[in-house]
Order: sequence, then structure tokens, then C-alpha cells
Amino acid sequence: MDIVGFNLWYGEKQALFDVGMNVRKNKITALIGPSGCGKSTLIRCMNRMNDLIDGCRVEGSMFFQGQDIYGKDTDVMALRKRIGMIFQKPNPFPMSIRDNITYGPRIHGITKQSELDEIMERSLKQAALWDEVHDRLEQSALSLSGGQQQRLCIARTLSINPEVILMDEPTSALDPIATAKIEDLAISLEKDYTVVIVTHNMQQAARISDYTGFMYMGKMIEFDDTEKIFNKPSEDLTERYITGRFG
Amino acid sequence: MCAFRHNEGDHLSHENTIKKTKRFNHDKVMKYFLMAVASATVVIIFFIILFIFVNGASAIRDIGIWNFLTGFEWRPSTDTYGAMPLITGTALVTIGAIMFALPLGLGSAIFISEVAPKRLRNVLKPMCEVFAGIPSVVYGFFGMIFLIPLLRGFFPDHLLFGTSWLAGSIILGIMALPTIISVSEDAMRAVPRSYREASMAMGATKWETTRRVVVPAAISGIAAATILGIGRAIGETMAVMMVTGNTPIVPEPLWNIFEMLRTITATLALEMPEVVSGSVHYSALFLLALVLMVMVLAINYTAKMIIKRSRKKFGETISKKSLLDKVTEHEKVAKHTKMFSKMSILACLFAASFFISSMFVGAVISLIVAVLATMVFVSLMYTDKVAFKMGRSLMLTALFISAYMASSLFLDASASVLVSFIVVTAALISIPLAKRLLAKTKEKIAHFVLLSIVAVVLMILIVIVYDIVSKGLPALSLNFLFGYPEDGGLGGGIFPAIVGTIQLVVGTMMIAFPLGIISGIYLAEYSKDTRYTRIIREAIDILNGTPSVVFGLFGMAALVIYLGVGYALIAGCITLAFMVLPVIIRTTEEAILAVPKELREASLALGASKWETTTKVVIPAAFGGVVTGLILSLGRAAGETAPIMFTAAVVFRSSVSLSLLDPVMALPYHLFFLAWEVPGSETMQYGTALVLLLMVLFMFALASLVRHRYSKSIKW
Ligand SMILES: Nc1ncnc2c1ncn2[C@@H]1O[C@H](COP(=O)(O)OP(=O)(O)OP(=O)(O)O)[C@@H](O)[C@H]1O
Ligand SMILES: [Mg+2]
Repeated sequence: MDIVGFNLWYGEKQALFDVGMNVRKNKITALIGPSGCGKSTLIRCMNRMNDLIDGCRVEGSMFFQGQDIYGKDTDVMALRKRIGMIFQKPNPFPMSIRDNITYGPRIHGITKQSELDEIMERSLKQAALWDEVHDRLEQSALSLSGGQQQRLCIARTLSINPEVILMDEPTSALDPIATAKIEDLAISLEKDYTVVIVTHNMQQAARISDYTGFMYMGKMIEFDDTEKIFNKPSEDLTERYITGRFG
Repeated sequence: MCAFRHNEGDHLSHENTIKKTKRFNHDKVMKYFLMAVASATVVIIFFIILFIFVNGASAIRDIGIWNFLTGFEWRPSTDTYGAMPLITGTALVTIGAIMFALPLGLGSAIFISEVAPKRLRNVLKPMCEVFAGIPSVVYGFFGMIFLIPLLRGFFPDHLLFGTSWLAGSIILGIMALPTIISVSEDAMRAVPRSYREASMAMGATKWETTRRVVVPAAISGIAAATILGIGRAIGETMAVMMVTGNTPIVPEPLWNIFEMLRTITATLALEMPEVVSGSVHYSALFLLALVLMVMVLAINYTAKMIIKRSRKKFGETISKKSLLDKVTEHEKVAKHTKMFSKMSILACLFAASFFISSMFVGAVISLIVAVLATMVFVSLMYTDKVAFKMGRSLMLTALFISAYMASSLFLDASASVLVSFIVVTAALISIPLAKRLLAKTKEKIAHFVLLSIVAVVLMILIVIVYDIVSKGLPALSLNFLFGYPEDGGLGGGIFPAIVGTIQLVVGTMMIAFPLGIISGIYLAEYSKDTRYTRIIREAIDILNGTPSVVFGLFGMAALVIYLGVGYALIAGCITLAFMVLPVIIRTTEEAILAVPKELREASLALGASKWETTTKVVIPAAFGGVVTGLILSLGRAAGETAPIMFTAAVVFRSSVSLSLLDPVMALPYHLFFLAWEVPGSETMQYGTALVLLLMVLFMFALASLVRHRYSKSIKW
């Protein structure tokens, strides 16, 4: 996925300035930066979730496998099926665990029960949740713990087999143990999926990502190998942020 | 790409494009479909106004709008149509109702919101809601059979028949209570906790905090509650008609609450069934309905503006506000309070000058005098200091005038003046004394007063319910429930009325459910803030404020007469459906808007279309709220009389018919008929009232059960 000269406005206020970066296939890309710098805004643009916001306007291009995401003839639903998203707060549907997972496949036209069961088992296993819930699939998803709910949401996204998974601070509402589980999960997904993750946790970015982008005030200050960003960043601003001497 | 993705089967494999494909996108089509359905309300309100206007127009020509509005005589037998006594009747009975309901309602609201512990509040709130569930005709029945004899006992010299302005105001006041309580309680609960904490932290007692911080901060909400209560009372038909005596005269003197009077709504309900279609009388009634609509709309619009302003005041930004901001906010609130007190002083003045001048000259001239007097005082009050100084003396003047008005009903003029002097002197002495009381003592007294107010309100409820249940139960028997009326209503049963009510409710729902739910979905999910959406919302508001008797009038003019359907089940169902439509739309919309946006995002991020998201995620999540709204509207439709009394309901049916074109019997109309026309049928009346009450309250209980269930099982 390539992003070139991307600008975004919320009404009159510009939130992204000339952002450029590229997301490599089957790698984990992390976005870091202080609060309000536009990380969520950027990641939500990648599957056009910002379409939902009134008065939101974009300029510039984002290419996914060579096709313009913001092109006139883009089918947003087909796009979102291939670029899935995990949100900051776990947001399971108020339905049973089973229905949560089979919702996506059903939307995309799968009706056969055996096939749905297969997808459900596969996704829950991938999300490392199967062992904990396989005997309570009919229970409400809201009865799960926060960490379990977030893994359920990941499984729900995996159920439609996207190519890219966008994660916006997926662990910020979770305790350290649940966080570790999600991190392991992200790493295990790497071989099959492309992952973009927004995080406030520097160690997390360093631990799991291959590439890192540092954003500040709506601009992409630096985008490079995670190794490089954390060891010898070329921008002064990045270094100050990484080492916590910011402000 | 990876090993297992290939053995997935074909369905989820990717076409290598994100370009638009053949897959049908419902969103556009659905949007226009939903919008078309939501436009129904606009069409309905357009036709209602059109029919009233067209039918009323010839009265404007024949009578003249000025003669109509200012004429003092309403006598259809001689084709004299002066609406003044009806307009004054409506205004007086409403003023009385508010004077009765405001202290009770506000006191209860303060108690529930500020004093009662949580447990007690959870009991009191639903109890106050029961008031709203009792059908209008049951209130009227209770007024006739219980309140009127009681009042006659109290004032044997003044009330020959008992039916009076006083009785009407008490019953209407009780009916306005739930509106006043719930709206002003909401307003007080919306006052941020930080306000209370700031006040308590400065050492204020709970009562001082309530009086000086909470109530002033919520003042616009309380004002709105009052105005909405007025709107409710003005549009009320059955209850007020059954207890006011219905004589179209202006009371003499104007404040004589023992006099009989007649409201606009009662006139419509009384005269509509007998009028010849197309006559001057017919047209005059429509003009009267138009006047009523204008009055109600003006009132509701004022309430809406006030509510809008108070919403802005406590926008979501409160939490971010710094302390400094809060202080200025306080000052603003204080300003509002001052404005409000000024306004009430002006209102007192206006009323006083009106009353005084009406003793010597006609109502119209009195009105002019009142306006002039008020204007003079407005210019005087321009500076706050003057206002403040005058406020006290004005209050005392108002006290003097009201004391005089009250006592002059019982005593002769000079004695009344004496009494008024005593009252004012007592006030002058006791105010400084009260000021010197300790804060703690004041709090104790205040809480005691509030508690007694709540006790009175509960007593009223208990008396109504107990009276109907205890006297209705003996009437219930198999023969009563499954038999036909005999001896013109003196005996037998009410089976056809029960069946008719069920038929009406079912038919109403078949029309109103789809229309209402779809419009609600459109407004919540698909509409943007365009001009057209605003028109739809406006139409819903107007429909919501339209008095039920006007719906009946429209049903009669449009369906029964114009389309020639005659008195028929279908005409009643359509009329009732129009009436409950705004309730369903609103509750549906609110329930859908309460679904967090995260759920929508989750679904959309999975590649679902908006329509799929709405139907498969949002509506199921909002289900509890939607169903609650539906049941509530069902209860309302079951209890209404005015919309069916000239469209569908008849006093007797010898068999149960399923045809849509046959008239039906209905419980509320049957109760009205028995109470109004069949002396000696008290047992039957109590039985019918009980069955109706049980039916309606059952639905209300069901609704709150559903709501409770869902709020428990779904926590965002
Ligand atoms: N819906 C919106 N309307 C208007 N402005 C918005 C909206 N959403 C975000 N913004 C603004 O855009 C800027 C970037 O916000 P964004 O949510 O992308 O930041 P972020 O980097 O994700 O911050 P955080 O780390 O706190 O999540 C902020 O200044 C924010 O106020
Ligand atoms: Mg964010």
C-alpha cells in the first residue's frame, strides 16, 4: 500500500499534511506519535472509515495494489473486506460469540452452515481464543473479559480473511497480560497478513514492528525500519520523542 | 499468498480488484425508499391542516375572523358564533390547572431528583409515570363520580352541580403532573454534579444548594416543563368536557372558579357529532379547531426553543470547562434566573391589570389595557435596580390581588379587602422572620414540605386507582366480560367494546408500526441535516402537538364524510395511527441513536453495506427501545376517545364484526357514553373503567419490563 502526498481536513481544520509512507506486504508497520497528531485519522483513511464523518475531505492518493483507494469507481465495501480494522475499544456486537464471528462471512454471501463453522473455528484459533470459548459459543459476546473481547474482534476481522489488518491502539484498554497476548497474536499474524498498528507504547512498537512511522502535528516526520527509528533516527524530533525528552 | 488461504473455498477468495462490481448496492435505493416513507408525516400534517383550513375558510367569510374571535356569544341555534367565551374558558381552565399542578409537580421533581435516596427514586419515578398511563376518559369519569360530589360537599353554597372551572382545573392539573414532573426532573438531573459539589464545598446545605444552584441552573428546563404541561392541558378533551359543565360563558367575576365554563376542545367534541356537514356551524367548528391548533403550536414551539437553549447551556463540553468558566456560567445562570423572575413579575402584572380592568370593561379592551400597563412597567424595569426594588412590592401587590380574588368568592367586598390586608401584613412580618432561621432548620422545613407534596401526589394516585379497582372489581364477572350490553347500558356486559378496542389497536398498529419504524430509521441513520429533513422533523413535532380531538375532526372530515367511508373501524384506525405516529417515530429514533457508533464502525469495517449494518446490527441492538416505544403507543391508542368518537365508535353493536367498514364499540367511548348518558349505570361504569385501566396499565408495565430487561442485558 502506498500513500502519496495525502492531506485531510475535518471541516476547516487540516488534520493531515502531505503524508507519505508505504506499507509492505506481510510486515508489521507501526505508527507512533503524541496524542492528537493524526495517527487514528491516517489509519482510518486506509479503509475509508473517515467517509462516515461529516465534513471530512481528502486530497492526495492512497494506492492499494496499484488501485487508488480514493478513486471514483472504488467499491468501499469490497475495499473494507480486504482491509479490515480493529478498534481501540473492543466493540463486539451484542450477539452470541458465534454470531459475532459469522456476521462477516454471512454478509459476504456464505450461507452453508458447515462452511461457517469451519471459518469460525479457524478464526478463533488464529486469534488464540478457541480454547477459552469453544464450549460457550452461544453465550453473549458481552460476557467475555475485555482482553477476550478484543481477541474476539480480531477473530471477527480474520473471519472475512482480509489482506491488511489495521489496528488502532488495540491494547490501550487492556491489562499487561491481555496486551502480551494481543502482541503475540499480531506477530503470529505477520506471516499471513499485512498489519498496520497504531500504538502509544514505544516498547510495543519496537518489539513487534518491522517498520515505524513517527507522526507529529499531522505530518509524517520520519518513516523507516523500526531498527533505525529506535536506534539512530535521522530527525531530531523523532529522537526526542523516542527518548522521552519531548515538549 | 499463504497456504491455508487457498483451501478456503471460493467464496471468500478475493477478486483482485476494489473496483465497483455487479454486487448490488442497496444503500442508495434504500435511502430513497426510507425517505419516501418518512415523508408520510409531512403529507399527513399537510392534509390535516388543509382540511381544517378549507373547511374553516367559509366561516371566515360568513362570520368574519374578528367577530369570531371577539364575539361573546356562542349560540349555534341562532347561528351566533363568538369564540371569546370558549377561548377564555380554555385559557382559564388551563391557568387553573397549572396553578394546581406546578407546586405539586415541581415539588415532586425536586424531591425525586435532589432529596430522595436512589431506592426511593426508583419507586417514585415509575409511580409518577402511571399518571401518564391513565386514559383521559378515565380521569373524566373519576372527576364526575368522585371529585365533583367531593367538591360539592366542600362548597355547598357555591357549587350547585359541582361541575365547574375548579373541577376541570384539578383534573387537568393531575393530568399535567407527569409531564411537569418528568421534564423538570430531567432538567435538574442534567445539572452537572460539579455545580452541586462546588456549592456544598462552600458549606451550603443541601437545600441551599438546591435552591440557589440546581433550580436556577435548571430553570429553563423547568419553564419548558411548565409550558409543555400547559400544552397538554389545552389540548385535552374528554376529561375537561366531563367535569366543567360546558356553559359557554365568561365567568363573573373573571376569577370565579366555581363558575361553569366551556373549552374549545369540549365544544368540538360536543357539537361535532350533531352538526350538518357544510353548514356555517360545521365550518365554525373547523375554524375553532384552527384557533386551537395555533394556540397549541405556539405553546409547544416556545417550549422547544427554551429546551434547545438549555441544551446548549449544558453541552458536552462541561467536563472540559475550567473553574473560571464555571464561575461565569454561574453568573449567566443567575442572569437567567433574574430574567425569569422579571418575566413572572410581568406576567403577574399583566394578569392583574387584565383582571382589574375586566371588572369595568369588555375583555378585548381589558387586554389592551393589560398590554399597555405591562409595556409601561417594562420600560420602568429597564434597569435592574428598579426591577429589584419593585420586585418585592410587585410580589406583595400580586399577593394582595390574589388574596382579594380568593376571599371575594366567599365574602363581600369590604371583608375581602380586610382579609387581603391581613394576608399581606402576615407576609410582611413572616418573611424577615423566616430569613433569620438557621440554615439547618430551613432545610428541615423545606424537606418536610417537599415530602408532603410528594405524599399528596401519591395520595391522589392511590385514591384514583383504589377507587376504580375497589368499586370495579365487584362488577367483573364472566357475563360482564363476555356478554353484550343490555337495558341501554344498565346491565349486561362489555364484550363488543373489548373486542372493538382490540380491533382498533391492532389495526392502528398495522398502519402506524411500519410507517413509524421506517421513518425513525430514516431519521436516525440516513438523514443528514438538510432542509428537507428539517421539514420532516418539523412535521413530526406539529403532529405530536396536535390535540387528539383535532385528529378526530380530521378523521371525520376527510375519511367519514369526504371519502364517504362512514363510521368505520378503518377510519378509526387511520385516525389513531396518525395520532401515535410521532410517538413511534421518536422512540424508534432515540433507541437507534442510543446504539454506540462503535458497533456501526465494526460492521462497516467488515465490508457490510450501510443497509446491512442497519438491519443486522443497529436495529437488533436497539430492539428493546423500539419495542418499548411501540407498546407505549399501543397503550395510548387503546385509551383514546376523542379520535374515535366521530370516526369509528358507536354506543351499541349487537354482534362482533370483523369488517373494516363496520363501526365498532370501544371501551373508552363506552365508558364515556355510560358516564354521560346513562344515569344509574355506576357499576357498569366502574367495571368498564377498570377493564380499560387494566388493559392500558398492563401495556405500560410490559413496556417498562422490556425496557428494564434490555437495559440490563445490553451494557455498552
Ligand atoms: N471527527 C473529527 N472532527 C474534527 N476533528 C477531528 C475529528 N477526529 C479527529 N479530529 C482532530 O484531528 C486531529 C488528529 O486526531 P487523531 O484522532 O487522528 O489523533 P491521534 O493521533 O489518533 O491521537 P490519539 O493518540 O489521542 O488517539 C486532532 O487534532 C483531532 O482533534
Ligand atoms: Mg487515536
